[in-house]
Amino acid sequence: MREARRGMADPRRGARGSPTAAGICASCARRAWLLGRLSVRLDFRARDLGRLWRLLELPDEQLIEAIGGHRRAELRADYAAWHAEAPDAGETLDGVCRHHDAFPRRLRPHALAPRALHVRGELALLGGLSHEKVVAIVGARRATDYGMETARSLARSLGGCGLVVASALDEGIAAAALAGALEAQGRALAVMPGTLRRCSPAWCESIYRRVVLERGCAICESAPSARRSSWGRVGAQRTLALLADLVVVVEAEERPAELACAHVARAHGIPVAAVPGRVTSPASRGAHTLLAEGARFVRGPQDALDALYDAGSIDSGRLADARDRAGGDARRPEPGYGRSSGRAPTQPLERRLACVLERVGLGEDTLAKLAAGDGDSGELACALSELELRGLLRRGDGGRYLPAGTGHKVRARCAATHRERATG
Amino acid sequence: MLARARTFAIEGLHARAVTVEVDIRPGLPAFNIVGLGDASVREARDRVRAAILNSGFEFPGKRITANLAPADLPKIGPGFDLALACGVLAASEQIPGTSLQEHALFGELSLDGEVRASQGTLAVAEATRKAGMRMLLLGPARAHEALLIDGLSVGAVQRLASAVRVLSGGEPDPVPLPGEQEDTAPAVRHPNLSDVRGRAQAVHALTIAAAGAHNALLSGAPGTGKTMLAQRLPSILPPLTREESIEVMRIHSVTGRLPAGRLLTERPFRAPHHSITTAGLVGGARRGWIGEVVLAHNGVLFLDELSEFARATLDALRQPLEDGRVAIVRARHSAVYPARFMLVAATNPCPCGYAGEHERCECSEAEIARHRRRLSGPLLDRIDLLVHMQRGSADHLNEPATTSSEQARERVIEARERQQRRLRGDGVLVNAQMDGSMLRAHLKLDGSAERMLAQAREQGKLSARGQHRALRVARTIADLSGRERVGAKQLGEALAMRPEAARSSRGAA
Repeated sequence: MREARRGMADPRRGARGSPTAAGICASCARRAWLLGRLSVRLDFRARDLGRLWRLLELPDEQLIEAIGGHRRAELRADYAAWHAEAPDAGETLDGVCRHHDAFPRRLRPHALAPRALHVRGELALLGGLSHEKVVAIVGARRATDYGMETARSLARSLGGCGLVVASALDEGIAAAALAGALEAQGRALAVMPGTLRRCSPAWCESIYRRVVLERGCAICESAPSARRSSWGRVGAQRTLALLADLVVVVEAEERPAELACAHVARAHGIPVAAVPGRVTSPASRGAHTLLAEGARFVRGPQDALDALYDAGSIDSGRLADARDRAGGDARRPEPGYGRSSGRAPTQPLERRLACVLERVGLGEDTLAKLAAGDGDSGELACALSELELRGLLRRGDGGRYLPAGTGHKVRARCAATHRERATG
Repeated sequence: MLARARTFAIEGLHARAVTVEVDIRPGLPAFNIVGLGDASVREARDRVRAAILNSGFEFPGKRITANLAPADLPKIGPGFDLALACGVLAASEQIPGTSLQEHALFGELSLDGEVRASQGTLAVAEATRKAGMRMLLLGPARAHEALLIDGLSVGAVQRLASAVRVLSGGEPDPVPLPGEQEDTAPAVRHPNLSDVRGRAQAVHALTIAAAGAHNALLSGAPGTGKTMLAQRLPSILPPLTREESIEVMRIHSVTGRLPAGRLLTERPFRAPHHSITTAGLVGGARRGWIGEVVLAHNGVLFLDELSEFARATLDALRQPLEDGRVAIVRARHSAVYPARFMLVAATNPCPCGYAGEHERCECSEAEIARHRRRLSGPLLDRIDLLVHMQRGSADHLNEPATTSSEQARERVIEARERQQRRLRGDGVLVNAQMDGSMLRAHLKLDGSAERMLAQAREQGKLSARGQHRALRVARTIADLSGRERVGAKQLGEALAMRPEAARSSRGAA
């Protein structure tokens, strides 16, 4: 009874066994069971992240010794008597452990990395990671709509280029990043902070389902039958950091839990980049701190690509094609529609629209502010609608408009790079 | 002896004829009233007895049976007292019974014989005229309502004795003119739009809503002036037409709220508190209970703090917004009331109220999603205009007033006249009530507007309903500026004010 209250894995299974997934060997499964059993103690120690990382690097016996508490002896006995059980009828669990071929190679050298990963979705994606570039987009859970829009368009561009976009499945920036990657029909990798059985928070369910169904992959360190734990959230951040080739922080408050991914990445030599925000905004303070400490500066997808590869060596043609494939922000009209003129992204903007777009970018981002500045309220409203229909503006909260997509700038830089390479 | 008196019972908003039959027989003294009367009708026994005795007449000590026919119509309220008393007097031969048939009697009796007014006088007066009776006798307090009906002679009777005098061939008391009433309502002065500083966009949107009777939602942080703006709406609405006025007056008469004298020209403005129950909002709590939506017929229903209203209560608004009427169906009675009103609601965009203010919003995704869910669904679907109100800059209070109520009202009246000329044959009065076929007939889009509409449709930004909404609002904007054809500029403005939730940049794909 007390065991159940302490939040053990399902008491019906007995304290000495847990279902294993295909592809995970017995010793790694036993480790997953042990972490589930110790999760309350790990939650407590998660307040000090450095200590948590040191604990996670320990092998099993030392871990029991370190945090087993006064029930150490009982725990050791259960550990010794642990056996693998068959999974629930009808539930198929996939997983990879260290000893499996498909385990991501980049995770093997790190002691901090999880020993086993439970997987739902495309297993092949995980196996093929060694040939791919992975960009992790992380950030605040309480994000402003500027941050959400930036993360979304960044993920859309990078996903459309063929990179794998990885993020935790959590509210805020992370959800926006995965949504953006899915929009561009790119490959999304979601690291679950909870378990694979249930998506938490529950309203991210639709993103979770799309990731799993549309060529993406969801991975989780905890066994599906384990209880939800709060150390799982920072645990997911460290998994993300170790899997990535580049970590981009879009918006982050200045708290260790939010910056966990960036710190782990920096400690392991993985490049960290950050997107700035307003200097007065508390939501961006963490990102600014990272920039001050030497993170790469990212304004848009081109900067991220430069950080990933060396500047100028990206195949600009491939990028331009990929952007078209992703659809950009203005979709092509269906053939035979008749009246619509089908605006292609390259059509130049009329002067009055360009003027309004610039004013919105400068900070007059609501209709009220624009009307207070200069111009007739009706014409301004009409201009905002037209810009929205062209995909250059998006509606944010509270009647604000946000510049959406950086299509024009990327193309311009691509063209410039291409010209340089042709001449020089 | 059997005597018959004529009176009326209020059913919903209309009056039905009721015959009071009084029969007196020798027997143990008793006074029974039958005919499905409610508690006030049962208490009439004591009132009528005391009134007759105190008026100097004799109350027969025999077996008296009074029947309120038809016996399957429930009778509510004390308005049958006068008819019962006169019936008893006629049945005991204290007054001639022949003149009772030509007069309609309506009123409550006090214990000393004074005749009091009862609710529903206007409906009773209309029914009296329709039944072709010679005169309506009622208490002086509300007799002015009956005067509004043409072709009806009204006799005010101060006391039971005066009624007896009239029935015996005498003259009724003079009807007090509206100026002499104690309860003359002072002329209502609404706050003026010139109190609003700056906020040009919001005032413009409110004018559009008033011109076409569109439903509007004001969304903004606390203190941005949403309630203030909504309270100034009555000052720019056009006055009631004669038909609308009679409908509104009939409703208010049944609830006893009709102010003295002249025909009502002010549109009703109802602003219920958010703790109102569903029954309070749509009616049906008991027989004869009228909800706020019916009281707002031909006027405005203003819901402040929309997110604080119970979800079930807001769902009950679906039918009136869709059909323009509310049907109350209960186990024992059912009634249909008209409820065509303009809905104006004010809300915060998120639980803390500051979503969209750059740094101040402290709500998590889940809280914002939950907040939006409360407002979503059929209610939001029927909102035509979404007006965002932001906090102004520090010196916005020094800006000049955008316009005054009088100027705005003139523009609104002109726009409404154009709409009425156009929609004359279709049975609706304003753009907001146009349905799909009327839109196709009356909307004249020019080429640029058609292209813009097609673009919006193919990008999936507009559902079919959203399209109709935008077109109606565009038609009103064109009417306000006196244009015959709807151009891209008007459509663009309508699209900018469409009430789409800004869900695209937040999270869930």
